[in-house]
Amino acid sequence: MIPFETQNSPSIITELLYRLKIKDIMTHPVRSADPTTRLREIQTTMRENKVSGVPIVEDDRLVGMISVDDIIRALDQGYIESPCGVHMSRKLVVLEDDMPVSMGLSHFEKYHFGRFPVINRDKELVGIVTSRDITSALLTEMNRALETLEAEINSQAAPVAAGEVKRVFVVRQFDYENAGRASTELKKLLQERGVSRKTQRNASVASYELEMNIVNHSLGGRMIYQFSADRVVIEASDRGPGIPDLAKAMTEGFSTANDWIRSLGFGAGMGLPNTKRVSDDFSIESTVGKGTTVKVTIVFETAPTPQEKPA
Amino acid sequence: MTIADLEARLGYASLVAYTDAELAGAYTSDLLSDVIAHAPENSVLITLQAHKNTVACASLAGVLALVLTGKAEVPADLLDAARQENLAVFRTADNQFTASWKIAGLLGLGLGPIPGSKENL
Amino acid sequence: MTFQQVLETVGGTVIVKGSRWDVQEIQHVMACSLMSDVLVTEEDDILLVTSLASDQTARTADMVGACGIVLMNDKTPQAELVALCRELDLPLMTSSLPAFECCWQLGNRLNGPATPKS
Repeated sequence: MIPFETQNSPSIITELLYRLKIKDIMTHPVRSADPTTRLREIQTTMRENKVSGVPIVEDDRLVGMISVDDIIRALDQGYIESPCGVHMSRKLVVLEDDMPVSMGLSHFEKYHFGRFPVINRDKELVGIVTSRDITSALLTEMNRALETLEAEINSQAAPVAAGEVKRVFVVRQFDYENAGRASTELKKLLQERGVSRKTQRNASVASYELEMNIVNHSLGGRMIYQFSADRVVIEASDRGPGIPDLAKAMTEGFSTANDWIRSLGFGAGMGLPNTKRVSDDFSIESTVGKGTTVKVTIVFETAPTPQEKPA
Repeated sequence: MTIADLEARLGYASLVAYTDAELAGAYTSDLLSDVIAHAPENSVLITLQAHKNTVACASLAGVLALVLTGKAEVPADLLDAARQENLAVFRTADNQFTASWKIAGLLGLGLGPIPGSKENL
Repeated sequence: MTFQQVLETVGGTVIVKGSRWDVQEIQHVMACSLMSDVLVTEEDDILLVTSLASDQTARTADMVGACGIVLMNDKTPQAELVALCRELDLPLMTSSLPAFECCWQLGNRLNGPATPKS
């Protein structure tokens, strides 16, 4: 069986299982046959294409499946020359192309089939999924996530202006394991500077909302904190996909979050309006296909005097 | 208590017309899967999940009324769905904690039995 | 209300006590499992009652300056959540009560039973 499950896996894997759709990982186009095709011919198709199951289609509708097991039985009992329609299994369990991969996994757990035909909304056969498809798609996606991270680390030059403190944190898409770390660090830095509780809270909330936006909605990006004597400027930038309608995104309650983001406790559509609410200055720029940069300023309620701060 | 008490006694704003009925209990949750699995029948659901799917889940569980907390706008498709399912919908500025406490008061729930606490340090 | 009273009220189990257990006076409670909604709260030192068992709960609590966390609905806190509560000195307890029961028990303890006008 596939050693992935949604309950106790690291969150990045859980996320992939929900984000990837069956149509992203299925094999297509799929080799099908009609009910009049002889089993012998299907056996040849299987051997030549190295597949273990062939869906049977009649008038664009999926009507059955022939698996290697069916072929073996046909050879054994001597009906390999007869049309497959008579012998195919009609008890079909299918996946839909829009289902998340997690659903595919639970199908493999639940039903002991080696493959599932995939249909679209119009009930047409569009592909086929084996457990091998799932495993290789996950490996590819995990590799891609790692490569993105490495590229980001290497591209960091981080010039620091004299007299100011600058901190940069890389934030990865859907990385719930590390989501919020940058903001937690920011809060610690503000505590060390001895700024008021209200300032700490406003800056942390703004930072956290922006950081979670990168995690939930973007392809990844970074958080940059620029401290000066009386303020911190927080810049959250991502590499896309960009926001098509900024006015809408600034409306309370508007959210493009899907159900699993909501199940993690986010996506109520309060992020940007709330960030603006707690900030002294707020600006946002977004280009579809390029990315979004949000820059906010939090002015310290009481100017920090780190030198005089009691130990 | 009945559905109308939410409006009459707590001042919650009713967003769709409804048929009054006796409420047997209440359930507070933001997670729809939890609502389907655990919300009791003939109850009021207190949630800040102002989403069309909330109506579907609530009516699957046999919930009679929704109390929506939180600041987000209540979408029109939620209200349409509620009319179809004959589900009462109320909105309040109270947060979930306060709304739950007040509704417990309406249901006549006092200080209940306190289960034994454990320390696990 | 003290943490000890909260613990007794919700029949809870202490997971992290932290240094403020005996000194913190709790005046505000917020029950919420959607962290985005916690982030809009205006009050300081809230007690966060939630069923989200991941470390995001502690991060969010920390951001808004909450004083402690009750993990309800019989949820088992993830190891990362426990570790982060220790690191941030945030008291954490679990309770088997569902949200509605948690809220009315804590509300009654904090304010007495609600008496809506008749």
